[in-house]
Amino acid sequence: MANATDYTTDDLMCTCISRQVKDGEVLAQGIATPLVAAGYLLAKHTHAPHVTFASAIGNVMCQKAAPLGLTHVEELWLGQALIFLDFAQIVCDLLPTLTPKEFFRPAQVDPFGQFNNVVIGDYHHPCLRLPGCGGIADVTGFSPVVYLYVPSHSRAVFVEKLDFVSGLGVPTADRPGQRPGPRLLISELGVFDYVGGRMRLHSYHRGVTVERIRQKTGFVLELDPDAHETPPPTAEEVRLLREVIDPLGIRELERMSGAQRRPRMRELVRQERDRKHREGWK
Amino acid sequence: MNKVLSLDQAVSYVRSGCTLGLGGMTLYRRPVAFVRALLRANVTDLTLLALTCGYESDLLVGARRVRRLRTCYFGLEGFGLAPMFTLRATAGEVEIVEETEASLAFGLRARLAGVGFMPSLAWLGTDLPKVRPDVKTVTDPYSGQEYTAFPALHVDVAVIHAQEADWLGNARLIGNLGLDQELAAVAEHVIVTAERVVEELCGPLELPGFPVTGVVEAPHGAWPTSCYPDYGLDGDELLDYIDACSAGEFDAYLERVLTNGSAPLSTKP
Repeated sequence: MANATDYTTDDLMCTCISRQVKDGEVLAQGIATPLVAAGYLLAKHTHAPHVTFASAIGNVMCQKAAPLGLTHVEELWLGQALIFLDFAQIVCDLLPTLTPKEFFRPAQVDPFGQFNNVVIGDYHHPCLRLPGCGGIADVTGFSPVVYLYVPSHSRAVFVEKLDFVSGLGVPTADRPGQRPGPRLLISELGVFDYVGGRMRLHSYHRGVTVERIRQKTGFVLELDPDAHETPPPTAEEVRLLREVIDPLGIRELERMSGAQRRPRMRELVRQERDRKHREGWK
Repeated sequence: MNKVLSLDQAVSYVRSGCTLGLGGMTLYRRPVAFVRALLRANVTDLTLLALTCGYESDLLVGARRVRRLRTCYFGLEGFGLAPMFTLRATAGEVEIVEETEASLAFGLRARLAGVGFMPSLAWLGTDLPKVRPDVKTVTDPYSGQEYTAFPALHVDVAVIHAQEADWLGNARLIGNLGLDQELAAVAEHVIVTAERVVEELCGPLELPGFPVTGVVEAPHGAWPTSCYPDYGLDGDELLDYIDACSAGEFDAYLERVLTNGSAPLSTKP
């Protein structure tokens, strides 16, 4: 299959996510993670047709795929549902035994792949209170298939010391255990692993230098001696992302700043409304 | 028996200082019409408990009706941070009882089982126990392993928005079940608001009527959150809300939705 030459960082991140999916797996999808949804759907459309999605939105399991949506996101999940679950059942009964593959987006992440989605600054006197950690503190202690992704790679995210540990990484002296820790971290600049117990550059994206990644990372970055350029998406992967999986470009929202996002979201809401009227959605 | 109430009658079950559980998830099937009616009433000092909190909870926090929060996520999903929660929580103006999916789910299950706690692998090794000293651990009498012992949760009033309900409170919930069934089973009082209330629904249904205190017909009662498949999210309204809060105009926004918020133009045919 021919490699694409015309692709965006979002396309590449989705492709990296897709390539971590194995056929037949159960894939968990969290809240507001369109890059992950697009990556999962890309896997479904290419090498992993038999995956099962477990979606937080809708609380469903499904096997069919539908394009990404913003205001009609339930069409994707509820409209295709194989089974409706209740959340207590998901949390208490299914997650500890099924351990689905999941990609989490840290607000802060340290060299050991430990991460924070609760608060920036002191817990009791925060600089910024974050939405909360959902189920991250519940599963990262035992799940063998935790992955991380960071749409905006910066020193604000990659920090030496976390303000709060809500997600566990590789076992450390302070936080021991048997878990393997995150398998990979996929950022807008490269792909990282935790071989040796610390975050290590595994591959850098096209046009990104190791020096730039070092500048954007707030701790000493280890290097895989075999670090190489991230393999590009194929032309077919890019076509699927743009034409079939996410024609509206919802995956691009994750890398936008707040100021860019709101006008873009207005535009997306308008486009979806127009399509809704045209195609008779509810 | 007929449990049908007006919205104001249903709201009267919520007393200042009580624990209010809200059904649905984040931007899906939230009891927004009920919350608007609650905001018109003089109720304050609430403990708000929900699996996830979104628009409706942000209105309550913005209007300073909430003293204490118990949720694992408070935000507007793809639309971004919940503006008033972010403002008030960052300023320390609302007490947060840090929760996760597991502490809420196991806590409700403990109450349902009539025991004081449920054991779980969750939280071990994280900083969660440091900010929840009330959550203790327990030793497995068989393996000797240590587990987190999530305490049973109490809910005074649970409010759940349904696609359909009947006079007895039996209700059809389509997707995004969240913790609705557990909330309805543990709460002292259960209010079901529904797009349509009919005399008698045919099963199978997701919510049996026997624990339900009152049923309220509330068409468009989840707006601007969604009520699949009746209507989707009103993205314009959510963006209007975020813009209003960013401009420091929460109070004016609240006045507008309390005055004419039950007549959403964008979800009308």
